[in-house]
Amino acid sequence: MKSENLKRHLRSTLEFAGFTVPAVIVIFAFVELPFLMSVLYSFTKWNGLDKVPVFIGFANYMEIFTNDPNMMQALGFTLLFTVFMVFFTNVIAMLLAVALDSKVRGKNVLRAAFYVPNIISMIIIGYIWRFIFSKGFDSFYALTKIPAFQLSWLGDAKLSFVSVVIVSVWQAIGFYMVIYIAGLQTVPKDIIEAAMIDGARSSTRFFRITMPLILPSITVCLFYSLSSALKTFDVIFSLTFGGPGTATTSIALDIYKTAFSDSRFGYGSAKSVLLFFLILLVTVFQLSLFKKREVEA
Amino acid sequence: MKRKMLAVVCLVFSALLLFAQTSKPVVNKNPVTLKLMFFSPELTDQYNDMAATYKAETGNTLDITVLQADYVTVLRAKLNSGDIPDVFMSSAYADNDTYKDYCYDLTNEDFMKQLEPTSMTGVTVNGRVIGYPFLVQSHSFIYNKKVFADAGITVLPRTLAEYDAVCKKLKAKGIQPFATGFKEWWVLPQTAWQVMAPIKDSFGGDYAKFVDQLNAGTVKFSTLKEMNTVFDVLDLIKNNGGPKPMESDFNDQCSMLASGKVAMIHQGNWAEDTIRKTNPTIDIGYLLGPVSGPADKAGIMFDSNQTIRIAKDSKNLKAALDWLRWLTTSDYGKNWIPGKILQLSPIKGAKASKAELAQATMDLLAKKTPNYSWYYQRFPTGTEQGLGIILQGYCAGMTNRQDTLKALDSSYKKIVDASK
Repeated sequence: MKSENLKRHLRSTLEFAGFTVPAVIVIFAFVELPFLMSVLYSFTKWNGLDKVPVFIGFANYMEIFTNDPNMMQALGFTLLFTVFMVFFTNVIAMLLAVALDSKVRGKNVLRAAFYVPNIISMIIIGYIWRFIFSKGFDSFYALTKIPAFQLSWLGDAKLSFVSVVIVSVWQAIGFYMVIYIAGLQTVPKDIIEAAMIDGARSSTRFFRITMPLILPSITVCLFYSLSSALKTFDVIFSLTFGGPGTATTSIALDIYKTAFSDSRFGYGSAKSVLLFFLILLVTVFQLSLFKKREVEA
Repeated sequence: MKRKMLAVVCLVFSALLLFAQTSKPVVNKNPVTLKLMFFSPELTDQYNDMAATYKAETGNTLDITVLQADYVTVLRAKLNSGDIPDVFMSSAYADNDTYKDYCYDLTNEDFMKQLEPTSMTGVTVNGRVIGYPFLVQSHSFIYNKKVFADAGITVLPRTLAEYDAVCKKLKAKGIQPFATGFKEWWVLPQTAWQVMAPIKDSFGGDYAKFVDQLNAGTVKFSTLKEMNTVFDVLDLIKNNGGPKPMESDFNDQCSMLASGKVAMIHQGNWAEDTIRKTNPTIDIGYLLGPVSGPADKAGIMFDSNQTIRIAKDSKNLKAALDWLRWLTTSDYGKNWIPGKILQLSPIKGAKASKAELAQATMDLLAKKTPNYSWYYQRFPTGTEQGLGIILQGYCAGMTNRQDTLKALDSSYKKIVDASK
């Protein structure tokens, strides 16, 4: 009997390993290893061309905190961007999910329509919106004379922030909407019906029953939107290239510029290690906060 | 039936192959394949045409990789990993130092004597020539001659005040004076540094001394009185650059000028191709850029910056040098830049290019109009974008002059320290 158990145990372990080990190897080679190398490089001065990087200890980290206004500006932008991004994507995606989970005519078409931006390359989206904001808005202004179209949506420091948020939210909501729809479909109808019989209004039903039951979806969406907003790069790269000046430069773009334009690969690595810890800190805090509150139906 | 046809087709093809084998014009016992890395993808057709001719004439193959945005990144990765191309391109001046460990010394090559000595400044370090000047280019303000004539402007502006007056005249006619190009981080420094080009006079006519002192920190942007004029010129362009001056990019500049919607742009002769794509018959010319100093110092920026470098450790070193010699001395090579690329060639006695801006450049030089070298290419690698973005912030109204100057100084110092 005992050997039978052992055999089964061994078998399931092997099965488990068979499925996971290939992925672990690939992730280690293409994600973990480069990350570890960039941690090493973060202690060096290296221009990307010299054969031997010079070890300089914590000097890169010291510089970030004491003498880098660009990084501080990028940090401020990224945090503000993250707040707006997480709030608007999740609220709008949730509203859309609720609307498209009810019995609306043509809801499949609408679901697809809202999801489409998510499958277009971010770089292309940036260029399309760049065209809309400049040439497109010029034409709209010529047609309608609405002054909002005459504003410089990509050239003004404050407005370009709004533009970046609008495009990023527009691109992201489809993805989160799908997760919320999936979550909404797991909510048992009988509980909702019971609440209706008890006389709960629709808002009460939503906030007291639906919301707690889809908290796992909310946890996932918040986690994912937080980490992707903190890392935001490609839309900004093609829409504004961080401009005007440094008005919309995110930390990731600042790292890119440090490494590839200033040729300071060591310093750029140090910044990216810090970005990693920032994301780790924020998301672990968020996860532990939300995991505690999840309930089962 | 079908089988018969197949047989015929096979026969025809094998016959063709046979002919192809025998009709090879050049007998080259050891054909070499050279690996080249170039930028400026707008010249891809011309690169390929040149490679095809070279293969036909010598039997050697040129395998050219053309990149733009990530050119430097890819080149660095290749140099780092030992996969060194036989021939590659870079900028002149500061890049001499960046790639010093990889460049072959061309000083004693016979064909280098065929080049204009003026185009060699940017590739010469301590008397050694370590690069081959590829193109000679110029930049300044480009104007649409018809728009100027229609607005009744007959005297071309040279000073800030004259430019201001021209702008007022154009605006009165309902024409936007400038398309700024301020969204492009590389346009801003070109516009700005042209304004203080006469600064060399304060350093005995030698830009190297000026940049040495900038690098050492004994000269700072915040103490240069020329910077005031720089800001004045940027303000003038911005204030006369339409409702959205910060959204204009290179393509916008070219199409607006070509369609006659604006009168002037700050660009170089490389823009002519793009401008003519919108309006093939346009009549354009150079204006002398306003400078910090007397009116007769106003001029154009003229230099050879794009540089071809031969890899020192290339296995095909001799073949690479033979190719450069062919490019310099053969009939095709001599005609390549003026005839096909339609820009200015550094080769002595080269034919004039048919392009209007190239001709305008030659005319201005013949008239002894002040022309300045692209001295800002002596600033350490990386400053072009770093400083460009700071100037962009100024134009967008994010920083005032005082703060902009401080930011320029600190950014410059950081890049200098990093490149030590």
